[in-house]
Amino acid sequence: MRHRRRYWGVVLAISLGVAGFMLVMTMSRDFKKNFNRDLTLIGGVTIIRMYFEDLPDQRPQWFRPETIAALRHLPGVTDASLVALAGGAQTNWRTRKYYFSLLGVDESFWEVRGFWPLKGQLFGEREVEGRKREVVLGTELARRIFGTQEVEGLYMEIDHDLFRVSGLLGGITDSSLANSAFIPLTTAEDRIPGISLANRLYLRCLTWDDVDRVTAAVPAAVSSHQSADLLRVEVSREGLKRVKHVAWWVEFFIYLALSATLILGGVGIWNVMMAAVRSRTREIGLKKAMGAEDRDILAQFLSEALCLSVGSAILGVALGGLGMEIMASFIGSRPPLDLFLLCLFLGLLFAVFLGVGAGLYPSVQASRMEVVTAIRYE
Amino acid sequence: MNKISPSARANGALINVSNLAKIYANGAGSIPILQKVNLKVFPGEMVAVMGPSGSGKSTLLFILGLFLHPTRGSYQLAGEDVLNLDRTAQAEFRRRRVGFVFQSCDLLENSTVYENLEFPLIYAGIDRHKRPARILAALEQVNLEHRIHHASNHLSGGERQRVAVARALVNQPQVILADEPTGQLDRGHSHLIMDHFAEIVKKGETAVVVVTHDSEIADRCTRICSLEDGILYER
Repeated sequence: MRHRRRYWGVVLAISLGVAGFMLVMTMSRDFKKNFNRDLTLIGGVTIIRMYFEDLPDQRPQWFRPETIAALRHLPGVTDASLVALAGGAQTNWRTRKYYFSLLGVDESFWEVRGFWPLKGQLFGEREVEGRKREVVLGTELARRIFGTQEVEGLYMEIDHDLFRVSGLLGGITDSSLANSAFIPLTTAEDRIPGISLANRLYLRCLTWDDVDRVTAAVPAAVSSHQSADLLRVEVSREGLKRVKHVAWWVEFFIYLALSATLILGGVGIWNVMMAAVRSRTREIGLKKAMGAEDRDILAQFLSEALCLSVGSAILGVALGGLGMEIMASFIGSRPPLDLFLLCLFLGLLFAVFLGVGAGLYPSVQASRMEVVTAIRYE
Repeated sequence: MNKISPSARANGALINVSNLAKIYANGAGSIPILQKVNLKVFPGEMVAVMGPSGSGKSTLLFILGLFLHPTRGSYQLAGEDVLNLDRTAQAEFRRRRVGFVFQSCDLLENSTVYENLEFPLIYAGIDRHKRPARILAALEQVNLEHRIHHASNHLSGGERQRVAVARALVNQPQVILADEPTGQLDRGHSHLIMDHFAEIVKKGETAVVVVTHDSEIADRCTRICSLEDGILYER
C-alpha cells in the first residue's frame, strides 16, 4: 500500500471513532447506574417513594410480601426497601430526655437510599432476621445525645428497651433523617408500641431512564396482589428532569464528537483514495490495456476503501473491547454480551457504509478513466 | 525478413482497416490526426509503422488496440466489426485477441514478474492452476524464465521490455501491437526484442504491428508503412 502515513491517519481516526462509539454504547448504562447512586446526594432521582395513605375512615394498608416481590421484579428495578415509622421515640442519657424520630427499616434500606456507615457498621440481613436490638443513629442525633460521633458499641434506651449502637449513618442530606434513629424492621414490629404498619416502600431504579416506566407499572403490580386505592407514588420529578436534561446534552456532545471523528475518517478515505487514483493512473491504464473492465478497476479500488474502513473498524472493536474490559473492572459492572455484539455489528456495518460511501466516487473515477489518457498520464 | 505465406493470406486478414480517420475537436477547431488509413495485416506478418513525431502512429495503434474510437472508418479485427461492439465486449476482445507492448516498459511497480504476467490471465478468467504454465511458457519465449519471481523494479531496461513482451504474449493473442518497443533500449537489446517478435510470427498464427522511428528496426519487419499527414502509405 502506498501513502502509508495517510492510510495510518485514516486507520487511527476510524478505529478511535469506533472504539469510542463502542465504549459510549456499552458502558453508558453502567456509568449511569453508578452515577445514579451518587445522584442520591442531589435528590435521589432514581428512587421511587410509595406509601399507603392513612385515612381515618379507611382500613389501614401495608405492603404484603408478594407485592414487594412483584415490585422487585419489575424491569428496571434494582432493589426495594420496606420502612415503618414509629414516630416520636425517646431516650434517657445522663438524666436527660431526648426525643427523636424512629424508623424500622429492612436490610436493603441503606443500599436503596444510598447511605453508608460514617462510623461502625449498618445492620444487615442477619440482624433483621435475628430481630436484634441494634440501632443506627443519624449524625445530628448522635451529636445531640452523646456529644460525639464515637458512638459505636454504646447502649441507649429506646422506649424502655436497651439497644446497642452499631454505627453512624453517612450520606444523609435530609436534616430530619440526620435526627432519626434506625432499627431493624422486625425488631421495631416486636418491641416498639404504636409503630405503623410497613406501609412505606422505596424502589431504586437502574437508571433515570427507567423511572417513568417503573412508576407507571407500580399501580398494576400492586393491585395484582392487594388493593391499591390508598397507594401514593412519589418521584422527584424536577430533579429527574434536570438530570435527564444534563445527561442528554452530555451524550449529545459525546456522539457529536464521535460522529465528527468518523466523518473525518470518511473524508480521509475519500482523500486517500483520490490520491491513490491519481498516483496510480498509469497502473489503471495498464490494467485496462491488459483487459481489465471498468468493473474490475471499480472492484479493486472499492475493496481497498473497504479494507481500509473495515480493517480500521476491527482495530476499533478490539480497542473498544479492551477499553470496555478496563472500565468494567474499574466500575465493577459490565454490559450484557448481546449489547456488545450489537455494537460490534453496528460498528462493522457503519464501517462498510463509510468505506463504500467514501470510496465510491474515487473508485468510479478510476473505473471510468480512458486507457489512452491514463497511459499518457505523467 | 519473413514473407507472408499463401496459407496465412488465405485465412484472411487479422486486421482490416479502411478509410479510418481520427479528428480531435477543440475550441479553436478540429485537428485531423488520421485522415485516411487503409491497412490489412495477415497472420505471420510483422508490419512496421513509421512516421515523424505527431504523425498519429500511436493514435493508430491505440485505435487498433481498441483504446480509442475513430471518428470514422471501419475496423475488422479477426473478422469481427469491433467498432460496433460495446465497451465490455471490446474489453473482452482486447483480452483474448490483442497483446500490447508500450514504449516505456510499463510494468506494475511493487510486483514480481510472475504477478505482472498473471494480471492478464486473471482478467481473461484463466483458471488459477493453469496460470503458472502459461506464464512460464510466455517467459520462455523471451528467455526470461529464470527471472519469474524477481521484483519488476530490480530488472534492467532490456529485461523489463522483454517482460512486457511476455505479458503481451501470455494470453496467446492473435495480434501484438507494440508502440516503440525498442525506444528506450540499446541496439543489442532492441535486436533481441525484434528476434522475439520474429520468432512469434514465424509460426504463422500471430501478427505484429510495430510503431517505430528506427529504420533498422523497421527493416526487420515484413512490411513497412509510413504515416504522413494522416495518410498511411505502404513503402
